[in-house]
Amino acid sequence: MTWEVGENLVKSILEKAPYAEGKVRRERRLEFKVPAERIREFLMIMKEHNFPLMLQITAVDWPKEGEIELVYHLMNIELGTHAMVKTRIPRDLDKAKMPTVRDLYPAAETYERDVHDFFGVYFEGNEKMEMPWILDDPEQGLYPHRKDFDMLGYVKKKYKILDRFDENKDRYVI
Amino acid sequence: MVTQEELIREARENGMELFPIDKDTYELFFGPQHMATENFSIILKMDGNRVVKAIANPGFLHRGFEKLAEFRPWYTNIALLLRICVPESDVPEAIYSMAVDEIIGWEVPERAQWIRTVVLEMARVSAYLFWIMGLSFKLGVYTAGQWAAAYRERFMRLFEELTGARVYHIYTIPGGVRRDIPGDKWLRQLRDTVEYVKSKLPDFDNLVFENYITYRRMEGIGVMDKKFALREGVTGPNLRATGVAYDVRKDDPYLLYSELDFEVPTMKEGDALARALVRRYEIEQDLYILEQLLEMGPPSGPYKVEDPRLKNLPRFKVPAGDAFAHVESTKGDFGAYVVSDGGNKPYRVHVRGPSIAHGIRVLEQLLVGARIADVPVILMSLDNCPPDIDR
Repeated sequence: MTWEVGENLVKSILEKAPYAEGKVRRERRLEFKVPAERIREFLMIMKEHNFPLMLQITAVDWPKEGEIELVYHLMNIELGTHAMVKTRIPRDLDKAKMPTVRDLYPAAETYERDVHDFFGVYFEGNEKMEMPWILDDPEQGLYPHRKDFDMLGYVKKKYKILDRFDENKDRYVI
Repeated sequence: MVTQEELIREARENGMELFPIDKDTYELFFGPQHMATENFSIILKMDGNRVVKAIANPGFLHRGFEKLAEFRPWYTNIALLLRICVPESDVPEAIYSMAVDEIIGWEVPERAQWIRTVVLEMARVSAYLFWIMGLSFKLGVYTAGQWAAAYRERFMRLFEELTGARVYHIYTIPGGVRRDIPGDKWLRQLRDTVEYVKSKLPDFDNLVFENYITYRRMEGIGVMDKKFALREGVTGPNLRATGVAYDVRKDDPYLLYSELDFEVPTMKEGDALARALVRRYEIEQDLYILEQLLEMGPPSGPYKVEDPRLKNLPRFKVPAGDAFAHVESTKGDFGAYVVSDGGNKPYRVHVRGPSIAHGIRVLEQLLVGARIADVPVILMSLDNCPPDIDR
């Protein structure tokens, strides 16, 4: 795929989805930004444009902005083009909700469970939303890939190294 | 003495019941200690000899790679991420390095690209030999398994000479490779090894791939079609066995693959035998690629980027941005999504292991209706790599 084919593809997709932003990052790499509530609609359009393979759903936590960014990675097999569909949702636990895309891309079920496990994003409509990887451990808190997850929480509590933490030096003094 | 009935009752009282109690069916915990499951555990609901329902339980082999990567400098992450897939540890190195290269905007020197391509192909051949070993042990053809292990050893020795390590190489780094090729002697050895393994492929055919037992054990088992495979995110040889000629090396070329001439073998049946045969033809293609690369010869020039930032690796910083890189591994489409916020550590690393698609949903669906003797064959024909399920 040359640069032109990619630009035509982006143009044709954006004609059907005027609410989205899109660009060609480099050859064979496309990027779209979509509002969270229209993600299903947009992925349906992507499917019409021959993106049948969902590679993964990734999330990135941005605590300063109070948002979690979800990235859907899709692959066009014929053109060998990879597309990232990015969307942002608030990171508060009661608001971090997304509609599921399991019926459009059944492979998404596992990835949605994965994101739910590590980031606490709830996918409405996904029936298999139980936590496959993480055990509920209230001592450590939930959702370990969030940036505010207390990595040393359990160790601090068990081994009482909390009092050795020097806040001025921002490290443990032994 | 505690009877079995008491044990079962006790287990049920402690909430161990997985499937509703039924007179005709029973639960079978298959693996992970069972030799045929490759440290993978499956909970089966059996009706006599047939599987009624399956729950894949990949378990916790490694944990927290992605979180750990956020606390380590950019370069030390390579020594961590390559542990994701043990038989083919060069792939996670390569995707991470390629993604970092893309964020920085580095043009990797030609010599480094050549070396990276050679290393990836060597890793492919040795991973396939490792897979032949597993498959033939499951089929009961132990001789072929021992041969495959012995031939793999030749590649391991070459890796040891090239990188200093046998399994975890820590060789491909952002900006190039860690050190240069040892010399012409190494290239000669590689050429000999390629020729040797190529001459031994007919033996594998005779013993495994054209064996009557193999056909009886693998034909028509674990069938999936094109639509199902694409829907469930299946990639790699498993997808090619259903008739879709999707290969990252051809469709989204990286490194030197656009200059090389090779075929993408496909089959239409989509059963366990088709998956095995696709892999068998791939070894031939990989050896052919290695031959071409050796004929091309390593281009002259530096083997890594000349950049002053590389002199102080702990303080090495990557500008803000994100990138996705993927390569074709023997398991499928292996990808990494790396995000940088401009610091000396990655902000987020997500690795897309192909086995997360093959090992959970696809496996659970393919096992339904299979006989118990087919379970290890289906598991082996999907070629899962359990560590890349729970990164």
